[in-house]
Amino acid sequence: MSSIFDVIKKRRSIRRFQRKTVEDEKIRQILNAAIWAPSAGNLQPWVFIAVREQKSIEKIKVMSPGIFDIPAAIIVVCRDMKIAEKAGNPELSIFDIAMASQNMLLMAYELGLGSCPVKSFNQKAIQVLLDLPEHIAPELLVTLGYPAEEPSPRERRDEVIFFEKYG
Amino acid sequence: MVKDMAKDEDKDLKDDLFELFCFMLSSARGLMDEPKVYGPFRIVDSVSRLISILEKHQLADDFLVREKKKIEEGKYSVMDGEDKFREFLDGLMVDFAEELKKR
Repeated sequence: MSSIFDVIKKRRSIRRFQRKTVEDEKIRQILNAAIWAPSAGNLQPWVFIAVREQKSIEKIKVMSPGIFDIPAAIIVVCRDMKIAEKAGNPELSIFDIAMASQNMLLMAYELGLGSCPVKSFNQKAIQVLLDLPEHIAPELLVTLGYPAEEPSPRERRDEVIFFEKYG
Repeated sequence: MVKDMAKDEDKDLKDDLFELFCFMLSSARGLMDEPKVYGPFRIVDSVSRLISILEKHQLADDFLVREKKKIEEGKYSVMDGEDKFREFLDGLMVDFAEELKKR
C-alpha cells in the first residue's frame, strides 16, 4: 500500500482514458471515500451521482467543455442546498464538497484509476439531463477511467509556505 | 436502400452538429465566469471538433486533417502559460494564411 503522501504527490489530472469499464466495486470505494470527508457541522451537504452508462456520459460531455475524452464514469458532485442552508452560510458547503472531491481523486489514484475534477460544464444542462430537483446543485464533475496518458508533474510553488509569520 | 443510407448519414451529420452546438453554447455560458484565456481555447477546440465531424463524413481535406492533429497536440499548451499558447495559435494562423493564399 502506498503512503498517503505518495498518493498525494503522484496523482495527476488525467484527461485521456482507455476504453475500459471501471469496476462497480471501485466506484463504490471512491464514493465511500467521498462520504468520509469532513464537513462543517457534520452536515454532509452533498449528493454524488455516479454516471456509468455510455450514452449518458456522452450527453454530459457535450454540455461540458472541460471534458476532452469519454471517461468510463463521471461522478456528479452536488450540493444539497436545503441541507447547506442549515449551516447559516450555505456558501461554506463549497469547502465540504471540495474536500469530498479530493478524497475521491486520491482514492481513484490508489485504485489505479485516473481522474480529473471538471468545473467547466453547464449546471442547468446537467440538472435537466439528470432530473435533478432545484435544490440539488451540481458543482463539480469528477471524470474516472483507466489512464491513457502519464502527464509529468507540474512545478510546485514552495515559496508559498511560511512558518509563524508571513514573509 | 441507397436513399435510406443517405437519410441515416444525414441524421448522423445533424446529430454531430447538434452536439457541437451544445458544446459551443455551454462554452459561451461557461466563459462568462471562466478565465479569459479559456475563450480562445474553446474556439480552437471547436475548430478541432468541427474538423472531426467533417472528417467523419469524408468532407475534410488533407490540410484540415493535418491541422486538427496539430490542434490536438498543441491545445493543452494553454496550461503552460499564455506565451506558449499564443505561440501555438500564431503557428496555426500562419498555416491557415498560407493555405488561404493557395486556395
